[in-house]
Amino acid sequence: MTTKYWEPYSPTPDEPWDLRRVVHLHKRAGFASTWGEIQRDLADGPEASVTRLLAGKPRAVGVPPDFEQTAGLLAEAAVASRDISRLKAWWIYRMLFSPDPLAERLTLMWHNHFATSNLKVDDPVAMRRQNDVFREFGHAPFGELLRRVVRDPAVLIWLDAPANRKEHPNENLARELMELFSIGVGHYSETDVKEAARALTGWTVTSKGEFSEAAGRHDGGEKTIFGKNGPWSGDELVQMLLDHPATSTRLAFRVCEMFMAEETAVSGVAEAPAQRSPGERESALPRAAVESLADGLRVRNLDIGWAVETVLRSRLFFSDRNIAGRVPGPAEFVVGSARALELFDPAPSTLLLAEWVTRLGQDLFYPPNVFGWPGGRSWVTTRSINVRVKFAAALVGGALRNPAVPFDALALAMRQGRGDDLTTAIAFYCELLLGNAKGAVVDEIQAAMLRPAANETLEEQVRHAVATILSRPEAELG
Amino acid sequence: MPTRRDFLKRSSLIALAPSIPSFLARSARSAEQGRNERVLVVVQLDGGNDGINTVIPFADEGYEKYRRTLRIAADRVIKIDDRMGLHPALRGAADLLEKQQLAIVQGVGYPNPNRSHDVSMRIWQTARFDPEEHMTFGWIGRAADELPRPSTGVPSSLLLGDENPPVAIRGRISAAGALASLHDFDAEIPAAAGPNPRTSNSTSLAAFVQRTTLDARGTADRLRDLVRRDAMGDGSYPTTKLAERMKLISQLIKADFGTRIYYAVQSGYDTHAVQLASHDDLMRELAGALKAFIDDLHVAGIADRVLVMCFSEFGRRVEENGSAGTDHGTAGPVILAGPSVKTGLFGRPPSLLDLENGDLKMSVDFRQVYATVLETWLGVPSAGILSGKFERLGFLKS
Repeated sequence: MTTKYWEPYSPTPDEPWDLRRVVHLHKRAGFASTWGEIQRDLADGPEASVTRLLAGKPRAVGVPPDFEQTAGLLAEAAVASRDISRLKAWWIYRMLFSPDPLAERLTLMWHNHFATSNLKVDDPVAMRRQNDVFREFGHAPFGELLRRVVRDPAVLIWLDAPANRKEHPNENLARELMELFSIGVGHYSETDVKEAARALTGWTVTSKGEFSEAAGRHDGGEKTIFGKNGPWSGDELVQMLLDHPATSTRLAFRVCEMFMAEETAVSGVAEAPAQRSPGERESALPRAAVESLADGLRVRNLDIGWAVETVLRSRLFFSDRNIAGRVPGPAEFVVGSARALELFDPAPSTLLLAEWVTRLGQDLFYPPNVFGWPGGRSWVTTRSINVRVKFAAALVGGALRNPAVPFDALALAMRQGRGDDLTTAIAFYCELLLGNAKGAVVDEIQAAMLRPAANETLEEQVRHAVATILSRPEAELG
Repeated sequence: MPTRRDFLKRSSLIALAPSIPSFLARSARSAEQGRNERVLVVVQLDGGNDGINTVIPFADEGYEKYRRTLRIAADRVIKIDDRMGLHPALRGAADLLEKQQLAIVQGVGYPNPNRSHDVSMRIWQTARFDPEEHMTFGWIGRAADELPRPSTGVPSSLLLGDENPPVAIRGRISAAGALASLHDFDAEIPAAAGPNPRTSNSTSLAAFVQRTTLDARGTADRLRDLVRRDAMGDGSYPTTKLAERMKLISQLIKADFGTRIYYAVQSGYDTHAVQLASHDDLMRELAGALKAFIDDLHVAGIADRVLVMCFSEFGRRVEENGSAGTDHGTAGPVILAGPSVKTGLFGRPPSLLDLENGDLKMSVDFRQVYATVLETWLGVPSAGILSGKFERLGFLKS
C-alpha cells in the first residue's frame, strides 16, 4: 500500500539516479560518504542503496573490525573518569566509524526530541545510558522508546520528577511529556497538565541512579485527563498519549524535519507552515504530506522504522526541491567532512572533533533547553560561519590528527583518476563534497583557485581548494 | 574574491569607516527600539563579598569594635557622606559615583539567610528558596524567556568566561551561551555566491544563507576592527581577568552582536583568613573593570543603554575571626553602575551594633532589586519570575 504523497522514487530522465542524488541520500540519512561508496550506489540503483542504508551497512570503508568493542571501551572509560567530554568523543567515534550511520542520526534526533542537559543531570553514567536507549529503540515503535525514556533517570532528574509528589506536585515532567515528547502544544489544557503531574507523582530516582516508584508519594486519587476520569497512573498516562492522534503528527514532523528540506512543495507552491510550538522549526512541506505520514504511523503502532523507510524511498525525498535545501547540523557537517575525505587512519581526534561540534553550536549532551536545538536556519550564525572556516582549515591542514599530517587532497583525487590538474581536482571535490561539479558556486571556486599563491605546489593548491569548498556558505546546504 | 575594502565600500552595514562610533548608525532608531536594546550586565562576586569593608560604615562604633585588625582607617576611606564611604581601592567606583553613575543598595539579603555558598548562590540566581527549584531556571533565564528573541540566532544571554553557564541564565525557551574569547569571530569568511536560478528549491534558504553570511562578515569585521583598535589603544582596560571579560562584553555590544544579557564571575571573595590584601586586590580589580567598561561605552556613545549590577551570595560576619579574616555572613551591598542609575545610597545602612546573632540585619530583599531591574530596566513583568510581587526601588532613572 502506497502512502499518499510518499510514492516510491524510481529514476526518470527528469529525475535520474545520478551523483547528486546519491550524495544527497548519504548526507541526509548518514554522515556523507566516500567516493567509492558513492560510485557503488550509483551502479546499484536507489532501491538497493536505500536498503543497504536501512540495514545499517552503507559503509564500505572506515569501519574498524572491532568497532563495537572499541566503542564500548571508550564509553566505559568516559563514564569511569566522569569526564563528559570523553563521552562526547565516544559518540563522535560512533558517528565516524559505526557501520550504521543512520542509527547514529536517529540517536541525534531523539537526543534533540527528548532534550536532556547534563548541566543539570551532572552524571555521565545517566547520559550514556540515555544515549544507548535512543540508539537501541530509535527506530522501534515509538511506545517502546517513550516508555523507556519517561522512566530514564536522566530525564527524570532533568524534569524534576523527584520533586513531583502528592503533597506538592511539580509540573515540569508532565508538561514536557505532553508538549515536547508526545502530543505537542495546543492539544492539552493546563488542567490536563496538572492532572498529568498528579498521575506521575512518585516517579523518582534512587541514590544509585535507578528509576523507582515511591508508592507513598503517589497520588492515587481520581483524575480527569483529556476528559477521561480514573485513578490514572503514570503508565496509563503514557498510554493515553501514545493513543492520542496528535502524537503521530508530531512524530511525522520529526521524521520530516530530519530528512526533508525546508521548502519542499508538491505543487510548486509553498504552503503556509501550520501552527508551530516554540522550537518547532519551520517546514514548508505541505501539511497534508506530514499528515499522511502521520496517518500511516497511527495504523502501524507508531513504527518509526516504517516512517523512515517510507520517506527515504519516496519520490518526494529524491525530488529536485528536496536536494541541497537543508542545513546539516554541526555533528553531521563535521563527521561528514571527515568521512568524505576518508580521514580514517590516522583519524582526527574525536575529542577535538567534539569541541568543534560544540563551537559550531551543538554541544552534545548539553542542549540549550528543553526544546533542544532549534536546528535548520538557526545553525547558521555569525559565530558558526566563522568557526566553520576555521574548522575546514584545521581539518585539512592536519591540526586535528596526531601526528599532525595534512590531508593529502591530491592523492585522494589521483586515486580516482581525477588528479591531473587543479581544475579537474576541484571538479572532483565539488562532486564529492557538494554533489555537483557545475553551477555558480563551483565557477567561483574555480575562478578563485586559479590564482594560486606563488610557490604553492599542486598538492597545496588542491588542499587549499578543499578547505575553501568546506568554508563556503554553500557547504552549509546539504 | 572581494577585498575587505571592497566589502566595506559596498556594505550597507557600515556606511563610513569603522572607527565612526556606532551611535551615528543608531540615530534614526525610535525610542521603542532603544528600550528594546537595553543591555544588562551582571557581575557575580563569588564567595561572599565583605560588604562592610566595601561600603564602609566608618563612623559606626561597631566598625571599630568588631574589625580590630581589618578596619580601614577613616582617613583612607573614600567618603560618600558623613557615615559611609568606599574602600580605598574602589577609586574607579568613586569616580563613577562623582559622575552620577553609581548606585549602592545597602543591606540586601533575604529572610532566613543561608550560609552555604552553593545554596545561597542558588537562591540569588533562581529567586527561589525550595532546593528543588534550584537547578531548573534562573531569574535571568526567565526574563530572557519574556524578551523578544535576538534575531540572528545569538543566545539571549551570554556568560563571558570559562565557567559553566550558571543556573541564573538558564531559561525554558531562551538559549544561554558561553564565550571565552573572540577568536571565534576573526575568520576570513568567503562571500556567498548569488542565488542559483536553476534550483528554485533553495531560493529562500540560499538567500538566507547569503544574508547571514553578509551579516557575519559585517559583525566579524566590526569585531576584528574593535579588537585591533583596542590592542593599539591606550590600554584603558586594566589587565585583570574581570577587566578582560568586561572588555569582551563591550566589544560584543559595540559590534551589535545581539545578546542583551551578559554575565561574568569574579572569584575569590571567600576571605576567611588574612583578608586585607586579597580583598584589596578584588576591590581594585572590580572598580578598575567597572570604570574602564563604563568609560568605553561612553566613548562609543552607548553607555545609556547598559546597566551593570554586581552582587554576592552573602556578606560576611560583622566580627572578624581569629585569622584576620571573616566568616560567612548575611546581608551586603548591591552595586549598580551606568548613566541610567540614580546615583547614591539606597536602603538603610545596616547598623553594626543592632545585630541579629552577630550578623547584619537586612533592609532590602534582593528580589526588590531584581523587580526594579526586570520591570524598570528590561520592561519585563517580575511577579512570575520572582514568584511574588516585590516593591521596586528608586535606583533607576527610567
